[in-house]
Amino acid sequence: MTSTNKNHIPEDSWDVRDQPAAALALDMAAVCKRFGGKTALNQVSFTVPTGSLTVILGPAGAGKTTTLRMAAGFDAPDQGGIALHGVNAEGVEPKDRDIAMIFDNLALYPNKNGFENIASPLAIRGLPRKEIQERVAALAETLHIAHVLNRLPKTMSGGERQRVALGRALIRSRRLYLLDEPLSSLDAQLRIELRAELKRLQRERGYTFLMATPDFNEAMALADTVIMLREGRVVQVSTPQELYDAPVDRETALFVGSPQINLLRAAITGEGSAIETAWGTLPLPPHMRGIAAANGEFELGLRPEDLELAPDARTGLSALLVDVEPLGLKSVLTVENAPGKAAFRLRLLTGSSHARALELGQPVGITLPDAGRLLAFDVQSGRSLLL
Amino acid sequence: MSMPKLELVNLTKQYDNADVNAVDGINLTIDAGQTLALLGSSGCGKSTTLNMIVGLERPTSGDIRIDGVSVVDVPAGRRNVGLVFQDYAVFTSMTVRENLAFGLEVRKTPKAEIQRAVEKVAELLGMSDKLRVSARELGGSELQRVAIGRTLVTRPSILLLDEPLSNLETAARLAMRQELRRLQRDIGLTIIYVTHDQVEAISLADRIAVMNGGHILQTAETHEMCERPSHVFVAGFLGSPPMNLLRGTLEPAGNGHLFHAGPLRFALPHTAGGAEPLAADGARNMVLGIRPEDMALCPADQGLFAGAVALVEPRGHESVVTVDVGDAYIKVVTPMRNAPGEDETVGLAVRAESLVFFDGETGQRSAHLHS
Repeated sequence: MTSTNKNHIPEDSWDVRDQPAAALALDMAAVCKRFGGKTALNQVSFTVPTGSLTVILGPAGAGKTTTLRMAAGFDAPDQGGIALHGVNAEGVEPKDRDIAMIFDNLALYPNKNGFENIASPLAIRGLPRKEIQERVAALAETLHIAHVLNRLPKTMSGGERQRVALGRALIRSRRLYLLDEPLSSLDAQLRIELRAELKRLQRERGYTFLMATPDFNEAMALADTVIMLREGRVVQVSTPQELYDAPVDRETALFVGSPQINLLRAAITGEGSAIETAWGTLPLPPHMRGIAAANGEFELGLRPEDLELAPDARTGLSALLVDVEPLGLKSVLTVENAPGKAAFRLRLLTGSSHARALELGQPVGITLPDAGRLLAFDVQSGRSLLL
Repeated sequence: MSMPKLELVNLTKQYDNADVNAVDGINLTIDAGQTLALLGSSGCGKSTTLNMIVGLERPTSGDIRIDGVSVVDVPAGRRNVGLVFQDYAVFTSMTVRENLAFGLEVRKTPKAEIQRAVEKVAELLGMSDKLRVSARELGGSELQRVAIGRTLVTRPSILLLDEPLSNLETAARLAMRQELRRLQRDIGLTIIYVTHDQVEAISLADRIAVMNGGHILQTAETHEMCERPSHVFVAGFLGSPPMNLLRGTLEPAGNGHLFHAGPLRFALPHTAGGAEPLAADGARNMVLGIRPEDMALCPADQGLFAGAVALVEPRGHESVVTVDVGDAYIKVVTPMRNAPGEDETVGLAVRAESLVFFDGETGQRSAHLHS
């Protein structure tokens, strides 16, 4: 961990399958699923291109695991269809789907050491011993678990066990891997490290990954495409950057980004040339001209990193500093227009050395150097007014 | 000088049948009203340390002093140390009020006093209107507040929180961090956070002690530790992403130094890392540290490093770009609009004064090349 020096993975032939690949590993079309009286999935449609890393992002209860279980064949859709590698998967048993599903908590064989656990799927298939050893060693190196290969699970840390479990799932060639929050039980630092390894492994080996996570950072860092899922519905399918820059609605904007996006009630005034908020008036930026705001009112979204602290309290919007959250090199400042009134709070990012010179309760000025990234949402529906 | 609230003196814990000490002679001092985070990966010894402070485990040697008095022989319940676990340990069959009152009822505190204490704590936690609600109906962050409140009513002289936020979802976690900072300001408690999450440590604590392998590697004010890690482990642990670390050899060359790590070779000007000239024969094993924020992308022929982009990890307004420079991967943080495509060849420009060196053997920040 103290060195970024590379782990070399010997090139071999076990990365991609021999048969020609279909363009789409998974194609879900309008899948609906109800459990009891409750709708778990409501017309869920998306595709997973072969060789891609697709991430299902959503809060707890959004339907992420249900979606993965449908793909794996553990549950059947009430309506809609699922095709795997261009073939209708209806009625195909999970074991015949050529899929590996990796859970947050995979059980290991308690009486087998790390090596035997990882190697067990290969040993069953009767591969030569030397090849098994090479494969396990290479994978163990990538997953940083070479040191636990000779140890029993009970002597490993939780993170080590999870990585051994990952290794056991990845050691087999499968045309589609379904990963259900595979990193969520790991330490923060390890999680970040391992997600980069997972992505590199996926690229190098040409794996097809469909991964579910509630962590937008993880989704942003990993995904080729993000499927934003909420209350059983797909609300947006886009690249990570589009998801951040052009969220389809307020909920998505709030979910993606830390510190959270600021939302302010706003109205278009001055015959369509200005935005008026409780904080003051801004010129209407070009990209917001002609937005269809009902009665001219809308909700303005400002990302914390687009706001800046003015050199003095008289410049820009004036506010009082109510909280400083250090995050290392940067800090999050929370300001409000009057003490105790939570209605007009803004968060902004600033350098920590600067933030340390500030005192809670002191007046500050806030400026918006570039209005080109402002977002606008419908007050009622929350839909973006910019798309 | 005022007396420290808590002192750990050469505190050591060795388990039977273990060949290394779980906690190995750590020293730590916390003043009244301070917040300190004990930060480290699982297995580093932080939970064992916490258990010894609380009294759940007995040290093999060393001392624990609260207000200057050794508490090693004081049973857990009498140390006046409050512990809030990661799992909330809230009774779901009880109301919020019953949960908050529980600790005092066990101690047979008079009813009127319990009532006062419970109401005060509920107000502090913003839960005055939830006192009659059953704990079963509470969400994660409310449960966490009840768990903290249950401990606060007993007026502990030190509050220990074990991974207090790890069970919360992102939004609730952010709100809870703000809440904890406010709480600490309002009541001036001495708080120790035990966590593996650097963001939690940095955002909540005045000071951080980084643990690894049973040792404390550095204790410093939070900003000091972020800006000037004194040990290579700390440098590789803090930051997102953490500092790039390259193990290699530094030797004097002409007016400056030559650093080489495998096929990577580059000359460093005299000012690098505030470097003083090494002795003429002074080739040394060193780890070079470069913060991902201290580099900028440039044309391939102009930087200190060049290589192909192996990975681009967007995170909103910026991206973490991993560059394959031959024998190592270097990570750089760049504004989103500058993000290159994968496989593109880029150069990395580094400000010489932002380079830091750690001794290759001890891991300590090099005194020889100290700024």
